[in-house]
Amino acid sequence: MKVIDLLKESAITLNMAPSSKEELYDKLIDMHCGAGNVSDKEAFKKDIAKREEEGPTAIGDGVAIPHAKSEAVAKPGLSAATVPAGIDLDAMDGAPSNLVFMIAAPKQGGDMHLEVLSRLTVMLMDESFRKKLLDSKTPKEFLKHIDEKEIEKYGAEDAAAAQKPEPAAQPQEAQPKKKVKIVAVTACPTGIAHTFMAAEALEQKAAELGYEIKVETNGSGGAKNVLTARDIAEADGVIIAADKNVEMARFDGKKMVQSKVSDGIHKPGELIEKIASGSAGVYSHKGGSASESTEEGGDGIGHSIYKHLMNGVSHMLPFVVGGGILIALAFLFDNYEIDPSNFGMNTPLAAFFKTIGDTAFGFMLPILAGFIAMSIADRPGLAVGFVGGALAVAGTTFASLVNPEANVVSAGFLGALFAGFVGGYITLGLEKICEKLPEALEGIKPVLIYPLIGILLMGVVMFLFNPIIGALNTALNNGLNAMNGASKIVLGIVLGGMMSIDMGGPFNKAAYVFGTAAIAEGNYDIMAAVMVGGMVPPLAIALCTTFFKNRFTPSERKSGVVNYIMGLCFISEGAIPYAASDPLRVIPSCIVGSAVSGALSMAFGCTLMAPHGGIFVFPVVGNVLGYLIALVVGSVVGALMLALLKKPLGEKAGLKK
Amino acid sequence: MTSKKVTVTNPEGLHMRPAGVFTKAMSAFESSINIKFNGQNYNGKSIMNVLAAGIKCGSEIEIECDGSDEQAALDKAVEIVQTAE
Repeated sequence: MKVIDLLKESAITLNMAPSSKEELYDKLIDMHCGAGNVSDKEAFKKDIAKREEEGPTAIGDGVAIPHAKSEAVAKPGLSAATVPAGIDLDAMDGAPSNLVFMIAAPKQGGDMHLEVLSRLTVMLMDESFRKKLLDSKTPKEFLKHIDEKEIEKYGAEDAAAAQKPEPAAQPQEAQPKKKVKIVAVTACPTGIAHTFMAAEALEQKAAELGYEIKVETNGSGGAKNVLTARDIAEADGVIIAADKNVEMARFDGKKMVQSKVSDGIHKPGELIEKIASGSAGVYSHKGGSASESTEEGGDGIGHSIYKHLMNGVSHMLPFVVGGGILIALAFLFDNYEIDPSNFGMNTPLAAFFKTIGDTAFGFMLPILAGFIAMSIADRPGLAVGFVGGALAVAGTTFASLVNPEANVVSAGFLGALFAGFVGGYITLGLEKICEKLPEALEGIKPVLIYPLIGILLMGVVMFLFNPIIGALNTALNNGLNAMNGASKIVLGIVLGGMMSIDMGGPFNKAAYVFGTAAIAEGNYDIMAAVMVGGMVPPLAIALCTTFFKNRFTPSERKSGVVNYIMGLCFISEGAIPYAASDPLRVIPSCIVGSAVSGALSMAFGCTLMAPHGGIFVFPVVGNVLGYLIALVVGSVVGALMLALLKKPLGEKAGLKK
Repeated sequence: MTSKKVTVTNPEGLHMRPAGVFTKAMSAFESSINIKFNGQNYNGKSIMNVLAAGIKCGSEIEIECDGSDEQAALDKAVEIVQTAE
């Protein structure tokens, strides 16, 4: 029984100013007669009055719903009036009423009037909806608001009822039918196709089974059709079909099924049945770690770590792509010969692009760490991880605070990964400890305790962690210096490989410093090996995304193209999103590719006098042809190895061994 | 917290009048009153909530009271549901 079907445009009067309750009710009754709902006006009026004598029908919040079950009612209906100034209808909360709906229910109407009452109150509980009704200029607008609200609250239920009118009508009389209500969230790291395919599959299946469902899609454009607290409260259970983290705290205490987004597409029936049959477990957010929450239907710890990583990577990607291309433009618009050591900033235009690009790059690692931590510990984790990531980039240590001369080395993206996971688990731990605090402190946890203690602890951890990176860097520097006498090929392998291990961390920096020191000594071949090693990772990945498409997600494939540009411009960071999302396969492939390039560059006797890489410096490279061969061969080797290690995505999902 | 399951016997269900009586009586208690119906929770002190639940004749509801006077509140709640017309 839809409210919108019961209320005709002609049965609505807006902006009334009745002088008495009787005048108002007369108008509402007249409108019922006009709409053909009531056959005997006087009899109906009597029944309404009788009902009023039994007690007020003004239920508070300005809403009054006078009603009567009466022989005089020909067909069930509604009439409505707004009274902007309000009228005293003896409301239960003592306030004047301004929104009045009159229900006319036939004597033999069963539970019809209770159902209409229920629907009306569900909708009218929403204050903003009441305001919209009051502000309506025309009855048409008034109806439009009701229609929208009813679709929002009952759209799925009505659609299901419309699909099978006969069976729905019959059992309703016999026994109150229990309607299963489900809420669901679909999400994937890309958020372009799968999110919406899963939502559609779930909606269709639910309609087919006659269940009510509301699906929130967490796509790339943000969350759509967001679940309200009320949706969640009313739901029998929650389905999470997601490969990235979604906000979970709101589902505390609900029955829940969690799965990969692909299950939402392929097995919507199974997921829905788990909720409908009540066999799903209850989700407990407090103290439940994110890995626990994925126990059901997920792939256990591996799946949850992947999810945390992807949450970080997918948020980081725009910074890498935008920043990377801008930096590449800076190199393009610059003149290398003005000042080689300041390449990219020599002309004003180049400096403009470089400054913006560098700023974007500056956010890259904090974003990565922040969103990994947020994936683990929900919202409170974000700030903690963010700060941890920034400290990893800065490389600050206790020693460097006292002694500004101390060796400060950025921990690079591996450090940011570390910060993200540690930050997430610090916050989770804090949440667990804080459970013991008195309830009165509940409110200050998210605004004071988590941020303050969380960030402080994170800072301490990073200040203790960074010296390890510094020491590692020093050891690497010493190690490289000791290798000075080693064969050039071996040196090329080591240096090239080091450039790819952490793409901006201690290994990368040690190799670079060694290269610049060698230039100062007049050995130009070492810098050539270092730089070619730094160009290989993005190129290897770009090649792999082009020739082995099935190893990558659509978004990875699309940003793969950008990696050609970044590789050619010596922006190794382009590889970081790929390395961060699948470090165990991507990093070794890049290392091998870079090592091959480094060795070949040495073997061909290539030289480079500038402390920079990329195609822009090729004019000053000695033996350019050999250098190009080294670059291409290394990239191809890296791409092939990556293709070998990375399984096609279908297999990785666990369908085949 | 204390709770009890009750079947609504009023042929009209928990319609506006009994819902009004119920919420008015419950508001006098300090305890929080929660009605569980169809797997959902409704505030037993808000008539809007109780009406929104649309509780029909023959439905089983669970009333949960939590607070210093929970037993008295529960007894009263059960009495109203079983007797109100």
